Amino acid sequence: MDTDTRRSFLRKACGIVVGGAIVFAGPSYLVARELVLRNIFMDEKQATRALKKSPFIEVETALRAKEDKTEANVLGRPPAINIAALSNGRESFVPCACWQCVSRCGAIAVIDNRTGKVKRMEGNINLPRSNGRLCVKGRAGHQHLEDPDRLLHPMKRKEGSKRGDDQWERISWEEALDLIVRGGEIDGRKVKGLKTLRDEGHPEEFMFHYGRMKGSTSKLIKSYFLAAYGTKTIGNHTSICEGGKWTAQELTWGKHYDVNDVLNTNCILIFGSNPIEAHTSHIPFSQRIMEMVKNKHVPMYTFDVRLNKTGAKSTQWVPIKPGTDLAVVLAMTHVVIAEKLYDQAFYEKWTNTTIADIEAHVKDYTPEWAEAISGVPAKTIKRIAIEYAKAKPGTIISYRGAVAHYNGVMTERAIFMLEALCGYINAKGGRLMAVNGKWKSSFKKPKGHSKKLKILDGEGYALPTHHASHQVLRMIKEGAHGRPHIYMTYCYNATYANGDCRENIEILKDETLIPFSIAVDVGYGEGTKYADLVLPDAYYLERWAWEDMVSQNQIPEYYIRQPALPSLPGEVRDFQDVVCELARQIGMGDPAQGGDGSFMIQSAEEFVKDACEHTPGVKEAGGFDYMKQYGAWYDRTQQPLYEQHAKVLTPEKLEGAIVDEKTGVIWKGKPGQDYTTTKKAYKKYVGQMIGNIPYKGFPPDKINKSGYLEIHSQFLVDKGFPGLPTWMPIPEHENLKPDELILTTYKVAMQSHSRTQSNAFLSEIYHRNPALINPVTAGKLGLSDKETVEVTSEIGSIVTTLDVRESVVPGVIAISHHCGHWAHGRFATAGKEKSPFGRDGYPDLKRIWWKDNGVHPNWIIPNKGDPIAGQQRFMDTVVTVVKKT
Amino acid sequence: MKKEGKTRDQKKAGLGIGRREFLKKAALGASAVGIASITAPGKIVAAVSENAENNGGKQRRNLAMLIDLRKCVGCSSCATACKSENGVPLGVFRSWVKIVEKGTYPNVSSHFLPRLCQHCEDAPCLRNCPTNATYKNDDGLILINEDRCMTCGMCVSSCPYRARFINPETEVADKCTFCAHKVMRGELPACVDACPYGARIFGDLNDSNSEIRKIMDTEPVQVLSPERGTKPKVFYIALNRSTAETMGGKYEELG
Repeated sequence: MDTDTRRSFLRKACGIVVGGAIVFAGPSYLVARELVLRNIFMDEKQATRALKKSPFIEVETALRAKEDKTEANVLGRPPAINIAALSNGRESFVPCACWQCVSRCGAIAVIDNRTGKVKRMEGNINLPRSNGRLCVKGRAGHQHLEDPDRLLHPMKRKEGSKRGDDQWERISWEEALDLIVRGGEIDGRKVKGLKTLRDEGHPEEFMFHYGRMKGSTSKLIKSYFLAAYGTKTIGNHTSICEGGKWTAQELTWGKHYDVNDVLNTNCILIFGSNPIEAHTSHIPFSQRIMEMVKNKHVPMYTFDVRLNKTGAKSTQWVPIKPGTDLAVVLAMTHVVIAEKLYDQAFYEKWTNTTIADIEAHVKDYTPEWAEAISGVPAKTIKRIAIEYAKAKPGTIISYRGAVAHYNGVMTERAIFMLEALCGYINAKGGRLMAVNGKWKSSFKKPKGHSKKLKILDGEGYALPTHHASHQVLRMIKEGAHGRPHIYMTYCYNATYANGDCRENIEILKDETLIPFSIAVDVGYGEGTKYADLVLPDAYYLERWAWEDMVSQNQIPEYYIRQPALPSLPGEVRDFQDVVCELARQIGMGDPAQGGDGSFMIQSAEEFVKDACEHTPGVKEAGGFDYMKQYGAWYDRTQQPLYEQHAKVLTPEKLEGAIVDEKTGVIWKGKPGQDYTTTKKAYKKYVGQMIGNIPYKGFPPDKINKSGYLEIHSQFLVDKGFPGLPTWMPIPEHENLKPDELILTTYKVAMQSHSRTQSNAFLSEIYHRNPALINPVTAGKLGLSDKETVEVTSEIGSIVTTLDVRESVVPGVIAISHHCGHWAHGRFATAGKEKSPFGRDGYPDLKRIWWKDNGVHPNWIIPNKGDPIAGQQRFMDTVVTVVKKT
Repeated sequence: MKKEGKTRDQKKAGLGIGRREFLKKAALGASAVGIASITAPGKIVAAVSENAENNGGKQRRNLAMLIDLRKCVGCSSCATACKSENGVPLGVFRSWVKIVEKGTYPNVSSHFLPRLCQHCEDAPCLRNCPTNATYKNDDGLILINEDRCMTCGMCVSSCPYRARFINPETEVADKCTFCAHKVMRGELPACVDACPYGARIFGDLNDSNSEIRKIMDTEPVQVLSPERGTKPKVFYIALNRSTAETMGGKYEELG
C-alpha cells in the first residue's frame, strides 16, 4: 500500500492527520490501540467495509489486510494517536503517567463525563514500553482518589499529645507554611523554620528524606529547590531497594542501570528477581519476557527460594538456598571456562582481566562445590551454564533477591563476569546500559555550595554510592555527625519500609533527636503518624510531571503526567507547588518580589511546560500542547542503542584530553597528573585507549575506574575485599542450629511494597501474608499448616500463621511485604485504623470483609548493610519458629 | 411481564433511553446486532427482524472468549478491571483467578485459572430461573434482567462454575456479562482489554475469519466440566485437567 492511499484513508476513516500523526475520531481508543498494537494500516476499501461493522470486528477485518511494508511499520513504530481527541460525550481521555510503582508506565485516565470521576485507567499506546496496557496496580490506580482515608487538610499535632498518638488538629495552609518557613511552637516547644536555618547559615540542618521521587518532581525539588536552599542532607530509599546492585555496576561497568534485552535473547537466567510480579520496569519488562518465553519458546531458568509467578512461567524453577546465588554463578563461570564456551576476543579486549586469570580464579568453584553450598544439583548448574553460553546471546536478570545479602555486590559482579565471558555485555539480546529521555530546562541550575550532615551513608561501608537510607535514623540518634533540626519526608514511610520498625519509631518519636518533623503524603500512614505537621499531597492523577523511565527498546522515551481532573479535593495541594510557595516565602524567589532569585520556578505546570518547549524532539513535535494531548513522544526514526562502549571517539571529543599512561584512560586532566589517584578524576573521563584506538569504553561514574569492564577491581582490593568476584558466605548462615531458619521476603503483583494497600481493590485481593514453609521443615519443627507461630530473630518476634507449601526451599520461612500496616487507612488495616478526619459513609467501607491484614516482617529484620554498598540485607535474617501457645 | 426491563449494565451504559432515540445517539460503528443484544427478551423479536434487514440477513453472532493459560500469570488485572468497569462491590467477584500449586518439592508447578461466567450454550441458570430474569441474548450472552429477579438464589446454586452471586448492593443475582454494554459499542470486555499479556481473545465464533475462530480451528482448546454438558463459551488453551478439577470455589484468598 502506498503512503498516499493510507493517508487519504486515515483522513476519511479516522479523522484528521495532525502533524503526521493520526487523530482517531471514530473508533474508540481501544480499537485504535489494537490497530497500533498489530501494526495495522488498512486500505480505503477495506476500511470502508470494516467501519460498517462494529469496531472490534473492524480490527479483525484489518488483520486480514495486506501487510504494510512502510518503514515505520517494519520498525514497529506506529504513528502517534491524539489521546485527548478520542474524548466523546460519554468519556474523556487524559494521557498521564502511572505512579503505582517506580516503572511509571504511560497511562490514560478515562473520565466518566456524567460523574466527572476517573472511571478506569488504561495504558498509553503512544509509548512503546507497555503496549498500551497496565498492571493490576495501575488498573486500580483511580481507586486511591476515592479513598475515604486520604489526607485532605494540613494537620498539626495537638498540644499535649505525643508523636504517634494520632491527636491532630486541622490548620490552614497559611499557618502550616508560616510554621515551616518561620518556625513557631509545637506543643509548647519552640522550633526553627526553614528561613531561620538558612539565615543562620545552617541550611544542612534541614533534612529532606524522600521515598519515591522521580522525573521532574525530583528535578524541581532536589536539583532546584533544595540546591538553591543550600542543603544536601537529602535522604533517599535506594539502599532498601537495589542500591547494592547499582554499586556493583559502578565498580564494574562504571555507570548504573541495566536493561535485559529479552526481546532479542535466546536464553534467560534469573537470580533473585521476579519480574512477572515486581520489577522497576514491571509490565514493560514482563510483557517482553512472556512474549519470548510463551511465543518464541526461549528457555528461562529461575533460581529462587520460592516458586514465584516468574518461576511458574519458566522452563524450570531451580530452588536455591538464600544467599548462595554467588556460588552458583561462580560455578557456571567454571563450567563456561572448562567447556571453552567463552568469547575470548570480547573478554580480553573489553575487560581488565584475561581468560587465564579467571580460569585460575574459578578453578575450585566446581559445580559440585556449588551444589554443597546452594543445594542446586551440579548437573543442573552444568547443563544451564552450557545452554546459556551456547545461546548467543543470553541474558541474566538479577535483583533484590540476589543483592539484598551480605554478598550482594559480589554476586552482581560475578554475574557481570559470567556475562562478559560469553560476550553478552551491551550486545543485542544481552545486558545493556539503559537509555532514557534527557529532558532539558531553560531554568538555570542554582549555583553555590550546598552543605550536608554526614548522616546519609551509615558508617564503615566501602562504597555506599546510593547511601544507606536505612541507617539514617540511627545516625541521627547517635548524633556524631550532627542532627537535622527539621526532618521532612516526602512519599516516604521510614518506620514501615526499613528494617527494625521499633527502632525507627522510637527515634522518630524522640523530640530531642528530631525537633521538627514534617511529613508530606497523600494518605495517613506510618510515614505521617509520627510527625508534628502533615501536609496533604496530590495523588499522581492530580499533578504535573515529566517522566523519563528507562526504555525497554533502547530508544529514549519522553512522557508526561498531568492532572486528570480540573480541581483538587479538600485543601490538597501538589507538593511541587508548595515548594514554589515555600521558596517565595523563604526569600529565594524572583528579585522583583524581594527574593534572591535562586529559585525562579512558579509552579510544577510551568516547569513541565518549559521542559516540553526546550527538549529537542518534544519541542518540534509540538511542545507542551502536543504532550498534553498525546502524553508521550519518542523519535520514531531512531535505531536502538547497542554496543555503546565500542563507539570510537571523534577528534573533537578528544580535543584537550590526555592519555593516562598507567590505565590508558583518556581524560581531561593536567599533564603529569595521575588518573587513578587524582580526586574525582572520573568526572573528567573521556574514553579508553585500547590498542591505539580511542573508544568510549565503559565510562566511570562514582570512582576513578578505567574504561574497561573492571572484572578485577583495585578499588575493592584497596578496601580489603577480593578484587575478583569471590565466594563470600553469609556470616549468619554459617553454622545454623537445627531449629534455625532463614527468613526471606518477597513481593506480589497486586501490591507495591508499602503504598498501594490503601487501595480497596488491591487490598481485597491481597491483604494477608501467612508465612510460607516447606512441609519437610514444618515436620521437623513439629508444625502444621494454618498453625499460629511465633517467629523470632535477634531483635524481636512476630506472630503469624503458617502456610505449608511444597513451593518453598526447606530451611526457609518466606513472608511477603505489603501487609501488617498499623496505619495507612481502613482498606490497608482490615477496617481497623481510620485516619484522622477520615470520612465515613462510603459503601465500600462497610464491605471490608477481611479481618486479617497480615503481619509485617520488618519488625524482626535488623537494619544491617552489606559491607561494600551498605545495601539493607533483607534476606539474611536468621529466625526460630515455634508454635504460639 | 415487564415490557421495558433494563439490566444494570444497560443503565450503566447510559441506555436508559428509548431504543430509537438511542440509535440516533449510538456511536459510529455500533451495529444493530449489538443493540438488540442487550434489549430485554420481550423486545428481541422486533430487534432481530430489524437487524436482519440491516445486516443483509446475515447470521447471528456467537460471542465467546478464549483464554490462553500459557500466557496467564495470575496477576488479577482482569479481576480489577472488571470491578472498575462494572462497579462490582467488595466481597464479590464477577471475574477472578484461581491459583493451584501441584507436585512435591522440588518438582512443583503453579497454575493460574481465570474464572468467570461461562455463558453456557445450555445454561443451568437459565433453565432454573423461575421468573425468566435470566435470558440469552442474540449474541449468545447469558444476561440478567434485574427487574425480574426475585433473589431466590436458584441460579446461584445451580451454576456448576459458581460464577453467580447475590450482589450485596442491588440484592439481585449478578455475574459476568462479557461486558455486554461495552460489546454493544464494539469494544472488548474489560478483562480482555486489561490483560497485560494478551491472554484473552474475544470474538464471534460464527465469523470464520475472526481471530478466536481461527485459533480454535487450529489449536486444541478445553472447557471446564465438559461432562456436565453445559457447552461453555469460555474456552481455555492448555487447561490442565487436575487444575480444572480444583476449580471449585469462589474467589479464594491468594497466597
